[in-house]
Amino acid sequence: MSAETVESGASAAPRKGVSILFGLTLLGLLLFLWLLLGFATNSFWTPNNISNLLRQGAMTAILAVGQTFVIITAGIDLSVGAVVGFTSVIVAWLLAAGVPLWAAIILTLAFGVLIGAFHAFGIVRMGLPPFIITLATLTSLRGIGLLITNGSTISITNEAFTNFSRADFLGVPSLFWMVIVVAIPAYIFLHLSRFGRYLFAVGSNSEAARLSGVNVHRTIYLAYILSSTCAAFVGLLLASRIGIGNATQAEGWELQAIASSVIGGTSLFGAVGSVHGPLLGAFILATINNGANLLNVNSFWQRIITGALIIVIVYFDQLRRRSAR
Amino acid sequence: MTELQEDRDVRTEGLQVATRHPVPKGEPILELRALQKKYGLVEALKPASLTFLSGEIHAIVGENGAGKSTLIKLLTGVIKRTSGEIFWCGKPVQLGTPQEAIERGINAVHQEVVLCAHLTVAANMFLGDEINRNGLMRKRAMTDAAQRVLDDLGFNLPAGAVLGSLTIGQQQLVATARAAMRGTQFLIFDEPTAYLTRQESAQLFRLIRRLQAEGVTIVYISHRMEEVFELADRVSVLRDGTHVGTRRIGETNEAELIALMINRTIEQIYHKEHFPPGEVIVETRNLSGPGFQDVSLTVRAGEIVGLYGLIGAGRSEFALGLYGRHRPSAGEVYWQGRKVEIASERIAMDLGIALAPESRRDQGLCLNLPIGLNINLPVFNRLTRGLTINGQQERENADRQIRDLKIKTPSRRVLASAMSGGNQQKIVIGKWLSHGAKLFIFDEPTVGVDVGTKAEIYRLFARLLEKGAGIILISSYLPEVYELADRLHVFRRGRLVASHDYRAASHEEVLTQAIGV
Repeated sequence: MSAETVESGASAAPRKGVSILFGLTLLGLLLFLWLLLGFATNSFWTPNNISNLLRQGAMTAILAVGQTFVIITAGIDLSVGAVVGFTSVIVAWLLAAGVPLWAAIILTLAFGVLIGAFHAFGIVRMGLPPFIITLATLTSLRGIGLLITNGSTISITNEAFTNFSRADFLGVPSLFWMVIVVAIPAYIFLHLSRFGRYLFAVGSNSEAARLSGVNVHRTIYLAYILSSTCAAFVGLLLASRIGIGNATQAEGWELQAIASSVIGGTSLFGAVGSVHGPLLGAFILATINNGANLLNVNSFWQRIITGALIIVIVYFDQLRRRSAR
Repeated sequence: MTELQEDRDVRTEGLQVATRHPVPKGEPILELRALQKKYGLVEALKPASLTFLSGEIHAIVGENGAGKSTLIKLLTGVIKRTSGEIFWCGKPVQLGTPQEAIERGINAVHQEVVLCAHLTVAANMFLGDEINRNGLMRKRAMTDAAQRVLDDLGFNLPAGAVLGSLTIGQQQLVATARAAMRGTQFLIFDEPTAYLTRQESAQLFRLIRRLQAEGVTIVYISHRMEEVFELADRVSVLRDGTHVGTRRIGETNEAELIALMINRTIEQIYHKEHFPPGEVIVETRNLSGPGFQDVSLTVRAGEIVGLYGLIGAGRSEFALGLYGRHRPSAGEVYWQGRKVEIASERIAMDLGIALAPESRRDQGLCLNLPIGLNINLPVFNRLTRGLTINGQQERENADRQIRDLKIKTPSRRVLASAMSGGNQQKIVIGKWLSHGAKLFIFDEPTVGVDVGTKAEIYRLFARLLEKGAGIILISSYLPEVYELADRLHVFRRGRLVASHDYRAASHEEVLTQAIGV
């Protein structure tokens, strides 16, 4: 057997080029939707609506970035929606108890860290599948949140906190700035640091990563802690936006986050993903929802369109990958 | 077998009673004429002509990679032949699908049990051929029928038990019983006793003899010479994909068979340079762990220590134990004279141990990631400046290994899965060359690797030795360790059973020690 004859390497497209191409395609799709809605409606390109759209997409985008870290390790985090609701309760509760705002924020984020660490503990030490452990916390956290609030909501009276989500900075909603605040470190972490490489390696082949000296357990802890912390951060933003802590908020957001991530090119089999992909995915979903509202499309159709979009985009992504092999 | 016939009578559908003795005993039942199988350019089975006689027990022996499993897969319709003809009862047949093979009465019992572990013994025995009445399964009838078959065969097994609760050996007996009750005329056993206890083996042999008495033709594949001589009427030897001979069992002996098995036509050049042995790099004293017991050996700078044995003999397990992947349970490791506890892979790497593991696919590479990332995986901590990786160093490091090792790829960004076996092995080696080590463990480094790359890998060994490294070379391919190792240790069933200096023992002697005849 001569090595040259079995080589298909020459036909395999260099990976980075493909990734950029896919990102540009998503960006093109997003711009196309924006142009389309601009022509189809009078109200789309109004400052009010654009701000609204950016606010809508921001929270899903942050969840999707955290979710992507987990999916790259070939895991899944079903709990993020519940974590958002739970942490909104926590921050409202802390503020109601007279804890200063800065301490309330730090403590709430610390809860995110703890929840993520618990997920990783379940996976690494107890050997539970990620799907199961995060499904369990999805249910339990909602229950704990409801116990704390006794089934009702906790109002937030701290105006500095509630004004934040309505504020603009340089004409852009502060919530969208938060996406940038998360995305830049996330990009550095995933694409420029060695820990990002380890996430990919663990997702691709954890045994090979381990035998190459990668601390697989630590990498899994890192991924789940980041996901839950992103979710806790979104919980803060949501509490600020709606002015209450309520454990039943953010129902189904975990699926929005997973959908955004997958539309953004993340592979549920692990080892494929980026930071810009899920961001674009989240805003594509937000645009579809926003546009459907403006066009007075039955909101039930939004769900159907979202489902169809997931199938189409992931199918084309699969085709692309197969031809790249 | 009247019991079996009755069992079939209770069925209302799916009935397939094959007539036994389609050809008279002693006449050819299955004939292979110039049967050949190629995978790409690799010839897994060179044109082989072989005749199986009705009612005989025909043993097939050969080393790992000699083409035995290819032959089984061809006969059971799992893979399609490249060329040649197969005659069944005198007529040419396709044997293109497993269904066709089963319908003709050709069955195989594999070394790894391929049944459903969560179903009961009875359900497994009737799988795909269930007893039905009005479209509903008759569980009780199947359990009773299965129990009668098992009792009749003399297996002390409960038909109602879940298969997974039985030992591997017992599962193997179930698989055999399943094949036996399906009107099988031609039954292939692939190393059936590998996991069996002595008692279970005896039960299996009784069953085989009984099937033979009923006219079933048996093909028996085994490493164990004593079994071949106990059971077989005739024996065929495969070597490097070639059928090198068939002997009547009374007209041959173990020495002749072993000579046939290994007397290969070696065209590869085993590049070997001798260096004066230096200081002791690592010494294990009575090291035991999962899969290996009581292993004591030393590796010096400038020498290759070969570990030879059959697959599952404990060599790879020993390597993983030494590398910190599995915690040794007893014994000591001395690294350059100092006692060490290697509790993790990281500790092993920091000491200076590198491991190119047995399976590139499962242990060696992140296949769906780029070559560059794979090469740099052990050294990202060194490439990191502050928070981020130094991109230029990362690229240079990958490109240097690709260049030095002549990995045939247009770019470091190509996925590792797009590479051939030889180039994949080079990526694994490149990983450890860029990391650097004092002791290199190569586990089966040339499996699935083309001849040219093999020679390159052997020359690389010499370069490593020259720089003062030591090498542990693990191989199931005797000529490789035989020609390269300065000291050769033979493993059998988890233990180090013999040690030889460079070329001090004959091939026959080493193989005999590994097989344990």
